[in-house]
Amino acid sequence: MSDLLFYLLATALVIFSLLAVHVPNLLHAAIALIASFFVTAAIYIMLEMEFLALAQIMLYIGGIVIFMLIIILLTTGIGEERRLPVTISRRLAGAGLAALFLGGLIVAFGRWTPPAPAGTNPAVSLDAIGLRLLATQNGFVVAFELISVLLLTALVGAVVIARKDKGETP
Amino acid sequence: MNALPASQTFPVTNAIGDAVRQLFPASAPAINTLLAIASLLALVAFLPVLLIWLERKVAAHFQARLGPMRVGWHGLLQSAADGLKLVFKEVLKPEGADSFVFFLAPILPASATFLIMAVLPFDHHLQVADPPAGIIYVIGISGLSVLGILLAGWASNNKYSLLGAMRSGAQMISYEISLALLMLLVVMVSGSASLREIVLSQQGTILDWWIFKLPGLGLIAFAMYLVTSTAELNRGPFDIAEAESELTGGFATEYSGISFAMFFFAEFVNMFVAAGLATTFFLGGFLAPRIGLAFFDAVVDFVPGFVWFFAKAFLVVFIYMWFRWSFPRLRVDQLMYLEWKLLLPANLVLLTLTAFFVIRGWIL
Repeated sequence: MSDLLFYLLATALVIFSLLAVHVPNLLHAAIALIASFFVTAAIYIMLEMEFLALAQIMLYIGGIVIFMLIIILLTTGIGEERRLPVTISRRLAGAGLAALFLGGLIVAFGRWTPPAPAGTNPAVSLDAIGLRLLATQNGFVVAFELISVLLLTALVGAVVIARKDKGETP
Repeated sequence: MNALPASQTFPVTNAIGDAVRQLFPASAPAINTLLAIASLLALVAFLPVLLIWLERKVAAHFQARLGPMRVGWHGLLQSAADGLKLVFKEVLKPEGADSFVFFLAPILPASATFLIMAVLPFDHHLQVADPPAGIIYVIGISGLSVLGILLAGWASNNKYSLLGAMRSGAQMISYEISLALLMLLVVMVSGSASLREIVLSQQGTILDWWIFKLPGLGLIAFAMYLVTSTAELNRGPFDIAEAESELTGGFATEYSGISFAMFFFAEFVNMFVAAGLATTFFLGGFLAPRIGLAFFDAVVDFVPGFVWFFAKAFLVVFIYMWFRWSFPRLRVDQLMYLEWKLLLPANLVLLTLTAFFVIRGWIL
């Protein structure tokens, strides 16, 4: 059952990712990207990584893609076909890169022996993640606080930039 | 406050569920899921009809009119009739519009409301799913509404639509920051990000609800939540996205028939969802309003929790409608001024103060 679900999701993910890079219309590509993010979140949930799935939805779909969309909407000529002219040298270069990558993959997987399955790990709870992030020992409190301060700076910076100087009428 | 863990306070027992599970033991998971989805669908389909009727009635009475009176008792069937009319209308697509995006866009806000409703705790065990990070889920899913509006505006191939969508997008993204910070405040004081746990952290009397429990700050936070969520809902006085006098219909200008109905319905269900979230965060969700007197408490405890939930949620809905007919519409720059220069700094100060209160243990 879960194998079947995984293959379904993986197929959908591959299709949406291909669409995201192949569709000529930028906006359609962005929509395919959103779909692929959703499927990735579903795979995370299958792996019992709930927090990662939720973070994926919140950050990518709720945040990043929206900004991408706004940028796309502000560009002109979205629907037009604007491809590079296909020449024989470009084709050769593309085929060569693809072959190189495939060869690399074959070599890499040939040398790799899959580790024995280590049983099922218990699902990581949200509380555990939060405590680990803020733990002073064996935790990530410095990185967490640094990122928090960076984000707060960005937020306050937006307010400062939006502020008008005195004397300027709104 | 003697709070028990959630599993002990309200053990999972209900007669109908037990009977069904005893009759068909193997099918219990499937039945539970199907029932949950079916009841949510029924709720999402029924709520807008009721809410649109309420909106028209409330608006009418604010303006000393009667509102719809002819169809059914006090016009109760008016919005059902309107909805039926919309369903049978032809769906028009403007020339040069992108069909795929044009028809995809109305689905997104509708599905967003549906998805958020799945985590609302209607009663002790009347909740479709309770993810431990429910709040993150709510914030993430509400992005879908913005997405739908942006796509609708662009796909309509109409400058009014695009302008309305851009305004709406900017507004919703800005106010989402304040909304997320307020939710963070609630998470901080209740010590959990699961919506059910947040409700259970407010057990006790009416003074244990977060609106009253945080000395002074709770009321401010609740008022800020109301303002912010009104803006997030694109409702008046923040409805510049569809300011009729300047943008005809905003992002929904080119939509007709069922596509328009989906935007319209999603807007109203969204209002209920925002009210339900306010209830969950500040008004004790499904908990009965006990005041500490034994007799009164016995009476209010007798009323089932979902009745309290809906009563509180509709009270908040009424406040939203009150807002709409009390204040004049804000200009675009005033709207951004309000968020970025007033609400956001105030929010940060409030968050800091609350953190201080939590650390000092000043929460009653």
